[in-house]
Amino acid sequence: MTNDYLWDRTGPPDPDIVRLEHLLAQLRPAADGPRILMFPARARAARPSWSFVATIASLAAVIVAIVGVSWRLVQTSPSLDVTRLEGTPTIASRPVADHLELRAGTWLETNDQGRASIDIASVGRVEVDPHTRIGLLTSRPGQHRLQLQRGTIHALIWAPPGQFVVVTPSSTAVDLGCAYTLTVDDEGVGHVRVTTGWVGFEWRGRESFIPAGAVCETRVGLGPGTPHFDDASAAFQEAIAVLDLPGGAPEARRTALDRIIIDARPKDAMTLWHLLSRVEGSDRARVFDRLVELAPPPAGVTRAGVLAGQRMMLDDWWDTLGLGAANWWRVWKQQWR
Amino acid sequence: MNLRAAAAPVRPDPDSAGVASLVERAQRGDRAALAEIYATYRRTIRGILLARAPRVDVDDLVQDVFLVAMERLSSLRDPAAFPAWLAAIARNRATDCLRSSARMAPLPADLPVADVDRTEALLVLAAIQSLPETYSETLTLRLVEGMTGPEIAVRTGLTEGSVRVNLHRGMKQLREKLERTLR
Repeated sequence: MTNDYLWDRTGPPDPDIVRLEHLLAQLRPAADGPRILMFPARARAARPSWSFVATIASLAAVIVAIVGVSWRLVQTSPSLDVTRLEGTPTIASRPVADHLELRAGTWLETNDQGRASIDIASVGRVEVDPHTRIGLLTSRPGQHRLQLQRGTIHALIWAPPGQFVVVTPSSTAVDLGCAYTLTVDDEGVGHVRVTTGWVGFEWRGRESFIPAGAVCETRVGLGPGTPHFDDASAAFQEAIAVLDLPGGAPEARRTALDRIIIDARPKDAMTLWHLLSRVEGSDRARVFDRLVELAPPPAGVTRAGVLAGQRMMLDDWWDTLGLGAANWWRVWKQQWR
Repeated sequence: MNLRAAAAPVRPDPDSAGVASLVERAQRGDRAALAEIYATYRRTIRGILLARAPRVDVDDLVQDVFLVAMERLSSLRDPAAFPAWLAAIARNRATDCLRSSARMAPLPADLPVADVDRTEALLVLAAIQSLPETYSETLTLRLVEGMTGPEIAVRTGLTEGSVRVNLHRGMKQLREKLERTLR
């Protein structure tokens, strides 16, 4: 007997192995399993025995029939499944013992010890840290909107871009990627750190695209700041903060821009791209010239057009940075606005 | 006997450069790359889990493994090591599952009495699961998922030599076990 058939099916078939192959092939999932990754609607509970199921089945059928009719009558708002992770989270002041539904218009709150997760079937999962207040605005296929009033959430989203939106006191965060952490402090200042994919921040037309490895702040009345990679120098990050806050002394702003232009690395082209639409006049020209050195623009993108703030040219340039296509944002923004 | 093809083709394996490129795209948030990873490695992960965990839990565990992998993907420093890294996540997930639940009985209570082939298939699977893990994993990928030895090596990060030894020794032990339990 040879083992070639066992290895790669090239030798004479071993009858025992052929028989086992045929026998065990029926244990493969039908149609080769699911084609897409689906989040479970909730954490799985331990499976009861079938005898137990049989015992309660008839009783359950009666209950389901009664509850089903009632449920159809009262089911007027969408909901998401919340699982307690630690402590005692509450929904509309009701403690979450194990699972509880978060309905539209209600708040999930955690105290200093509480943690919870929100499962959004086929879309993703949001883990809620202590001292957080988050509410559900709406949840329907293709659009799920939460409102983070304070605290920290960790979002892990698998659905297509744009389906998951978090409204904060100072910006709207749209998931364009996979994983990020969003914090809102007691003054309403938001801070996002993207782990995988990218996130879009928007407030009254002011936009920030935050790719993996980058962070961005957003402030009440100002909207999203300029994103930057979290490994940028401290001086670079401080200079960004100076430019993001209005009303600074002209000399301080000029010094800050000098620092950004001097310290910018090739990967910081992402930050300079954002600055193109946030500084004006000769400052915009300086940013343009530095960005050309770090990431040459594609054909059709001209100095005159960029300095004039032409959105299409900026988008075309963004697309060459290797951080995803800007048209995602343009298309999906129409859906959640 | 169910004669569904035991040698159903699996997706072509990307070479190591292809794997690295695919994973790097996924790390940048490319949805198409994530979908490609899932389609390419789903059966491998299912086989690794099936060798260790209760069959009824495997499909859910496959989902869990890919969710964990996606969450940690940015921390993977060597994208070419992705197959071995993903396989390790699956093995750990199966271990966690076993710690939190009793191991599946060889014959589940819901087994249809008349389905003799399925009964035998579950008995054989139970026999495979009772082998040492290195053998049960490789045999599950070969006999249940229908992969060849070279495909198993590429998708789990094991060397071809290790896979060949696991198949040979595992098959020998499986024959002995089936001799005792089925005949």
